[in-house]
Amino acid sequence: MGKIRRLVLDTLKPYEPSIIEMAAQLSELDGVSAVNISISEMDRKVENAKITIEGEEIPYPQVSEIIEQLGGVIHSIDEVVAGKQIIDDAVTPQG
Amino acid sequence: MNPLRDVWQDFQEYDNLARIGEIGRRYFAMNAFDGVLTIIGVLMGNMTARVAEPRIVVSTGLATCVAMGVSGLWGAYLTEAAERKRDLDELSRHTLSDLNDTRIGQASRVAVVVVALIDGLAPLLAALVVLIPFFMTALFPAIVWAYYASLGVALLVLFSLGLFLGHISRGNLILYGIRTVVAGIVSILISFLLGE
Repeated sequence: MGKIRRLVLDTLKPYEPSIIEMAAQLSELDGVSAVNISISEMDRKVENAKITIEGEEIPYPQVSEIIEQLGGVIHSIDEVVAGKQIIDDAVTPQG
Repeated sequence: MNPLRDVWQDFQEYDNLARIGEIGRRYFAMNAFDGVLTIIGVLMGNMTARVAEPRIVVSTGLATCVAMGVSGLWGAYLTEAAERKRDLDELSRHTLSDLNDTRIGQASRVAVVVVALIDGLAPLLAALVVLIPFFMTALFPAIVWAYYASLGVALLVLFSLGLFLGHISRGNLILYGIRTVVAGIVSILISFLLGE
């Protein structure tokens, strides 16, 4: 099975637990080497968080489990990179 | 890993999520204060009625302690559970998902139990401490000294509660202590005047 090396998720989560807690827990997973979480939008009780994870072999089931345990919901998977190395999406004349 | 450390870490996480410490402190101070003032009422009632049998003072005092404990436990459990369920449901509506089985839901349930225990035990223990002199009446020359000793202990417990509140507010400890003691003295005086 191919190894997932980068994952970009669009999530909605309550303010608490904070993104510090979420990033710390995600970064402790085996196969994850770095986590970046940024807030794109804030509501009265919830916030939209873009989670970028990179690693040798990202365990998606555990990633989604941690996010859900912390009260978050994955809205969409915005980017996945799998394989032997990380590549960015190719630039085409259409953009 | 040390299991006790795991439990402590879990509790700290729940505390962050559900603010157990903050609410617990408030309930503790409020209900211990309630417990001491109530037991002062029981003591003054017995004293002005000239009850000379320690057993009667102890049994009315203990019954009052237990009633306060049960009332605190039940009342806090029901109100906290209702409030926290409402908060969790509201948050669930915002995230469009069921949060009951998440860490937030667990923290909420732990908070209800801890707060209920504090609410029940605080008045019970505070009042029990005040009754201690009546368990050792043999040491006093007359029963009236047990009453005085109990009232003294009650004022001491009130003063300690004042210190605790002063410590929380980072204010003047002695001033807080005096404020809580004054409540006890006022209660004693009014009960005394009513009894006479």
